[in-house]
Amino acid sequence: MNCAEFQDDLPQWLEGDRKVESEAHLRTCPACHELIADFDFIRRAAGQLQESAEPSPRVWNSIAIALRQEGLIRDGERESATVTVFPRPRGRWLNWLAPIAALGLIAFSLWTYQNGSPESAGQSALPPKVQTASMSLEDRQLLDMISARMPSLRQTYESDLQDVNAYIQDAEQSVHSNPNDEEAQESLMQAYEQRAMLYEMALNRSLP
Amino acid sequence: MTTARKTLGNGLTEAEAIERAKQGDGEAFETLYGLHKRRVYSLCLRMTGNTAEAEDLTQEAFLQLFRKIATFRGESAFSTWLHRMAVNVVLMHLRKKGLPVVPLDDTLESDDDVPKKEPGAPDLALTGSVDRLQLQRAIGDLPPGYRTIFVLHDVEGYEHNEIAGLVGCSIGNSKSQLHKARVKLRELLKTSRAEKANKPRGA
Amino acid sequence: MKQHSKRAAKLVLVVVIAGAVYGAAQTRKEFRYTVSPKSTVYVANQYGPISAKSAPGNQVVVTVVLRSDKVEVEQSQRGNRVEIRSHLLTGADVDSGQADYEITLPSDANVTLQSSTGPLHVEKLNGDVTLEGATAEVDVRDLSGGHVHIKTLNGPVTLTNVRDGHVEITSVSGDVVLNGVEGPLVQVNSTSGKIHYDGNFGFGGQYSLTSHTGDIEALAPPYASIDVTARSVRGQVENDFPLEPKHSSFVAKAGSAFAGTVGKAASSVKLLSFSGKIHLKKR
Ligand SMILES: [Zn+2]
Repeated sequence: MNCAEFQDDLPQWLEGDRKVESEAHLRTCPACHELIADFDFIRRAAGQLQESAEPSPRVWNSIAIALRQEGLIRDGERESATVTVFPRPRGRWLNWLAPIAALGLIAFSLWTYQNGSPESAGQSALPPKVQTASMSLEDRQLLDMISARMPSLRQTYESDLQDVNAYIQDAEQSVHSNPNDEEAQESLMQAYEQRAMLYEMALNRSLP
Repeated sequence: MTTARKTLGNGLTEAEAIERAKQGDGEAFETLYGLHKRRVYSLCLRMTGNTAEAEDLTQEAFLQLFRKIATFRGESAFSTWLHRMAVNVVLMHLRKKGLPVVPLDDTLESDDDVPKKEPGAPDLALTGSVDRLQLQRAIGDLPPGYRTIFVLHDVEGYEHNEIAGLVGCSIGNSKSQLHKARVKLRELLKTSRAEKANKPRGA
Repeated sequence: MKQHSKRAAKLVLVVVIAGAVYGAAQTRKEFRYTVSPKSTVYVANQYGPISAKSAPGNQVVVTVVLRSDKVEVEQSQRGNRVEIRSHLLTGADVDSGQADYEITLPSDANVTLQSSTGPLHVEKLNGDVTLEGATAEVDVRDLSGGHVHIKTLNGPVTLTNVRDGHVEITSVSGDVVLNGVEGPLVQVNSTSGKIHYDGNFGFGGQYSLTSHTGDIEALAPPYASIDVTARSVRGQVENDFPLEPKHSSFVAKAGSAFAGTVGKAASSVKLLSFSGKIHLKKR
């Protein structure tokens, strides 16, 4: 084997797929030996750049301002904070979300606290109690908003949301029992992506 | 990748910070930001080579994630998702600028790009003779497509299959472009070392 | 009793009148835009179908049928971007708010279509295609070179003859069918939908088909060149190919699984489910 051949095989060699001929060439060739040493150095040095730079404080300041404007940071409202927990994508969306969220919330509170059971409210659009009981507040608020905006989609969102939550639960369990299992981690990411998509679709949709 | 049960400066675990952030707690957001800012910003800086752009992209990546915070349950995927989101934000930015994110396909490129070293007297090895600043500069001087693959693999530690997924190229392509990027980087480092030896740069 | 049938009669009358009103209010509109290469066309239509196809020339032609006066069209062209939205007026619902779109456009255009109910249909394009529909049925065929991103809740997705792009499909519960879909990246992520793949797994690409509870069936030719990993945590897995073992420790992990290579292993194929059945079949 000569240097050119060795270098052709180098990508495989670096991946750990090492031919006997390559090993032999390396022992006799200082130039290729140095090449390997340099690649090794580059890789080690590059890994140290991972957290090498510090952003200027103005980055956090801009983020904080945006979070306040979008209502994601609500300082001083901690007690009542549990009522408006929506992820807030930017844009025009905000104009209509606030009233809708409030409406949805009012409807939800009325329904929960006055009627006790959804059936007694006499509304067929309301979901069966058993199913929503297991949902988080965010999920119920999302569904309330959908009931208000797109009643025909409520059922779809509700059953999909339940499925996705079950997906996350199973995937989280897999990751906890096998923390180094790459496929389990991948499944968990996919489960989160599903939930994120559901929220994004519900909240970003162009509506009147 | 996970940061399970890590207790932060203010006594919150990451999971607690996420839960509090969902409730609108500004400090919790700041805690999460503080935990990941260096990693995200460094990534943006290495991939763009420009501090102003890197700051904008860092801001965008965190905002995108924070907007989705209500969809999180638990912490296991938080950092993985944040880093992936940062990568996507940067790649999207590069695409918008019309810079090649996916390196050219092997078939479209002649092998002459990678100079084969002829046998002969070796130069000095890089180890010990190149500092961090030189390395950062050299990465910044890589052509954009090579730089993306190099930063994702050698700096960020992504595997080739993940890179293929992120940038939209084949695994084989990612492997061969990484190799070319390293060869190119080595040349740049040798040049920079030679320049430094001739006339030391002022800071 | 008597009262009851009287009310039924009234109801029929109301329906007939309503039908007549819709019929009368239905309007057809056409918009034309001249664009340069690589234009962007964005259409958002809450209720109703959108269909987009390529046509020769440098024009984007949009034909809209509005089902009632409860829905209007907002349209604009800014530079090389054409944007069209259905605007729903107060009281519009899934019927009265419906609009039907048919679009022809240059084949290099990038297209984004959004409709809750759909269906969404795209044909013969080389640009990027982004489709989003909650319950919308999605049918995409004969695309090449562009990136294809599709999101649905329970809408079924069918892709036929899509090549050389970056294909990403996310559907919560809709079934996904891929026929002749190949490229550097093909990714399907579903919660409960079934996934069916029939193709060559070519392009040295990365193929990832994932469903939490849905079955995954993949058909490949005997000459396929793949590095495959399949696992269902609680479901069955089945494989018709003779596999060369890999050195990875994957198979030893929980659940039923198989992994190995076929041919030169140019492409990577990952099939993952939690409780669905997985079957890699020889075509
Ligand atoms: Zn040699």
